[in-house]
Amino acid sequence: MSIGDKTQFIIAVLLYGVSLVYSVFLWRKGFRKDNHINYFIILSGCIFHTISLMQRGFSLNRCPVHNLYEAVSFVGWTISATFLVIGLLPRLRFVGVFASPILFCSGIFALALGINEKPGVDHDFTMPLVSPHAALVMLAYGAYGLSAIAGGMFLTQEHDLKFHKARAILSLLPPMQKLEVLISRLMLIGQILMTAGMALTPFLMLERYEKIFVPDLKTVWALLVWAMYAGLYFAHWKFAISGRRLAWGTVLSFAFVMLTFWGVNLLSGIHTPQ
Amino acid sequence: MPIVVAGISHKTSSVTIRECFAFKEAEIPDVLHHMTDTGLANEAVILSTCNRVEVYIYTENESICPQEQLRNFLIENRQYELDLDSEIYTHGDPDSVEHLFKVASGLDSLVLGETEILGQIKKAYDIALQAKFTGGKLNKAFQKAFNTAKFIRTETNIQRGSISVGSVGVELAEKIFSSLNDRNVMVIGAGDTSEKTARALLSRGAKSIMVSNRSFDRAEALAKELSGRAVKFDSWADEFANIDIMISSTSAPHYVIDRERLEPMMKSRRNRPLLLIDLAVPRDIEPEVNYMDNVYVYNMDDLQAIAQDYLEQRKSEIERCESIIRERAKGLFSPPPSRPRRDGKKGFESGLGGEPVT
Repeated sequence: MSIGDKTQFIIAVLLYGVSLVYSVFLWRKGFRKDNHINYFIILSGCIFHTISLMQRGFSLNRCPVHNLYEAVSFVGWTISATFLVIGLLPRLRFVGVFASPILFCSGIFALALGINEKPGVDHDFTMPLVSPHAALVMLAYGAYGLSAIAGGMFLTQEHDLKFHKARAILSLLPPMQKLEVLISRLMLIGQILMTAGMALTPFLMLERYEKIFVPDLKTVWALLVWAMYAGLYFAHWKFAISGRRLAWGTVLSFAFVMLTFWGVNLLSGIHTPQ
Repeated sequence: MPIVVAGISHKTSSVTIRECFAFKEAEIPDVLHHMTDTGLANEAVILSTCNRVEVYIYTENESICPQEQLRNFLIENRQYELDLDSEIYTHGDPDSVEHLFKVASGLDSLVLGETEILGQIKKAYDIALQAKFTGGKLNKAFQKAFNTAKFIRTETNIQRGSISVGSVGVELAEKIFSSLNDRNVMVIGAGDTSEKTARALLSRGAKSIMVSNRSFDRAEALAKELSGRAVKFDSWADEFANIDIMISSTSAPHYVIDRERLEPMMKSRRNRPLLLIDLAVPRDIEPEVNYMDNVYVYNMDDLQAIAQDYLEQRKSEIERCESIIRERAKGLFSPPPSRPRRDGKKGFESGLGGEPVT
């Protein structure tokens, strides 16, 4: 008996939920001991998540990023998979504590969006550039998400150091400067992916509307997100906006992306054809 | 035998109160003189460090309550006018001697088991000894305290894992900077603790050390020892743009670094993180500075809170040390236990230095 892709995804979300609960305990203990349990919980979740996306991808014969459910699920998978790579380093293993709330919430959000979804019906496969465009943009959101997670770690560490808490020394979180480098690099990777994904937009517009640019809420919103991160990166590089301000910048920017993504997508005539 | 101690320490009071009670080294002989002149004490030693101010006395005057007298003297001499509750502690025999042994052994220190305090007690004792304010009782108590501290250091694990103000400073630096290899350190005020902190940072790979002190000769001497560079006290701010870690321990009565002064400096260093370790009492760094972005300020009290966590982990060792101290303090002035002589009659064995106690 085979399990459907959505059931696989539900199992993954449940495992991310277990990780979230366990993360609360790790947080309260002050990140003192190198902990593999959380890593393996997220690994288990990511396995189901990957199988879910693969099943859907093979059934559609395309990268599964063609509706809101798939898009949010794909962003979550990007974050989860990247954590599994960087979490191999002991100092970055606690990224999982900060990643699990995002993974769980985005999973619940994706499931809510996918309640009435009919695979294969809501998809438009007539243009071959749609898949790379969507995949690159979703990967960019994943990088932005990881940058926000690093920002969260920075703010936690900064709070502990500013308030002279012993756990600032005893915790196994990375040093502040390393976290700042991580934030800016992830933001840069996100920006490169976003730029590459958005660079395909004129070709898609030409193919469908025979115009380079068609006014659309989602397109304008994506440009705004791009400009927001570009501005943040530029301010960091040129005007030495660093530390707490940079961390808050990435956290708030990603919160903006997460909170407005679905609404903008639903109101977009191009991305959600009526 | 009334050896009495009264004092305040990091355990009972904040740095705000301690700085009001601190004695300058130069004024200690006069205060000791005043104590003996007024009949408060026959012998006296004043210990004044950034973490504690303690006055040890021996008095033969049994008509007064020496603990209360000493407490009042401390408050009056320091002209402290605000209400005090449990900030000032006093101990009479035998607790006073046990307390001295604990302090000397580093058991009462901010960072458990640290040895800097032993040097500071030796210095305090030396000041009193040179000025002839010690006699048979305090000499014996302090010598025994040094001996006990040495014994505890070598025979127990109280120092295992080596914790000191310096190493706490280094650990903090390692939590802020990705590596200490490229870090520039500035030491303002050539104090003992700041020197040790600077040495600890150097041992972990800090790139360079700059030393600034009111006495330029002293700055040069310390800079030479640390293979660093001396900077004139008036121009330390010119070097600020290149500094990552600053250790301050001057005896200035006012703030050396305040927010107003630091804000433009931070812009010139492109908001790179800055760790400020304030080892001075009174404090050298305005507390407001800690509210600035990318600036982390730690004073003595903050280091204490961190050290407290280590304290918990070493509880079992403390108990063992305290047991040694109790034994040694008990045997200091009490008549030595009798042991049978060869002829079968009871006799006395000297407790210390072979002196018969009658």
